[in-house]
Amino acid sequence: MSVGHVARHAESEGIPTVTVAVRSFSHVATEMGIPRTVVTRHPMGRPLGPPGDVVTQRQVVRAALELLETATHGGTVLELEEPYRP
Amino acid sequence: MTSDPAETSDPAETSDPAETFEDFKNSFAYGSRNDLSFKFLKGLSSDEAAEFLRLVLLEVGELFDGGSPEALIDLAYEWQVRAYTPGPDKKRPFTYEDRPFTPFSQPLSSSTVGLVTSSGHYDASDDPTPFGVAHMTQEQAIERIDDFLRSAPELTAIRRDGDVSSLRVRHPGYDIRSVSRDPGVAFPWSHLLEAEEKGIIGRLADEMYSFVGACAQGRIRREAPRWVERWKEAGIDVLLLVPV
Repeated sequence: MSVGHVARHAESEGIPTVTVAVRSFSHVATEMGIPRTVVTRHPMGRPLGPPGDVVTQRQVVRAALELLETATHGGTVLELEEPYRP
Repeated sequence: MTSDPAETSDPAETSDPAETFEDFKNSFAYGSRNDLSFKFLKGLSSDEAAEFLRLVLLEVGELFDGGSPEALIDLAYEWQVRAYTPGPDKKRPFTYEDRPFTPFSQPLSSSTVGLVTSSGHYDASDDPTPFGVAHMTQEQAIERIDDFLRSAPELTAIRRDGDVSSLRVRHPGYDIRSVSRDPGVAFPWSHLLEAEEKGIIGRLADEMYSFVGACAQGRIRREAPRWVERWKEAGIDVLLLVPV
């Protein structure tokens, strides 16, 4: 929830935001109306990918950056389907 | 030579005879068996937790015969999601109807990107010393989870041209083992520098930011305007936010 408050305020002050969240917290994105969210199927504490898995981490970061440019309305959620594979 | 557990299992000597299964499952959340990857057990009913443990043992049994560790990972993940997902009737705080949205109107390739995480990262030379405690360990932080949850978050800045070997992490709310092994798990410093090199983003801002997300929610709402002002003054055009 902490980041949700930050996202909402930044957005209302004119700074576009994108948030990467694990699935366990995806309901928070919906409840709080977080502007743009990429949801990963990763365990808590590992939002971008397993340690040492540069490829997955890069894919998640790139998906988030792309969502900044493609989202057209607040509350946009992109769910990534790849499972967590260390 | 190992002994048969049944021969030595005197409850009066080896365990608390009053401990219930409810106590047991809850002990993984800041209790005697604290494990932040499995604190979600507290969010399950006793029947659900028992079923989860049964399935874990079933999968471990499969591993004996060459089964997939991925099935065990998926099982833990699915039950973690189940434990954290609120029921449809549960009234949740900070539920909003509005959807603040600022259209992104300039190319990403010419934008300054800011990074903000709630992972509790800081530079070793700039330890926020929670509650005035110097060199607070992760274990000490976990012991003070209630204090963190009652307090305002402190924003730490990490310079983009800093030394990654000076990056530290401390957070009482999640298992920091993964992110300690590789900051890229939750603090994508190298990935944003790479995106800059490839021209995907204009540039990574001079400073990146982190705080401990386990904090008083009312206090962070009051802090956020100050933080956003700071980021605007730093010339940040867009923010990548990473909660843990």
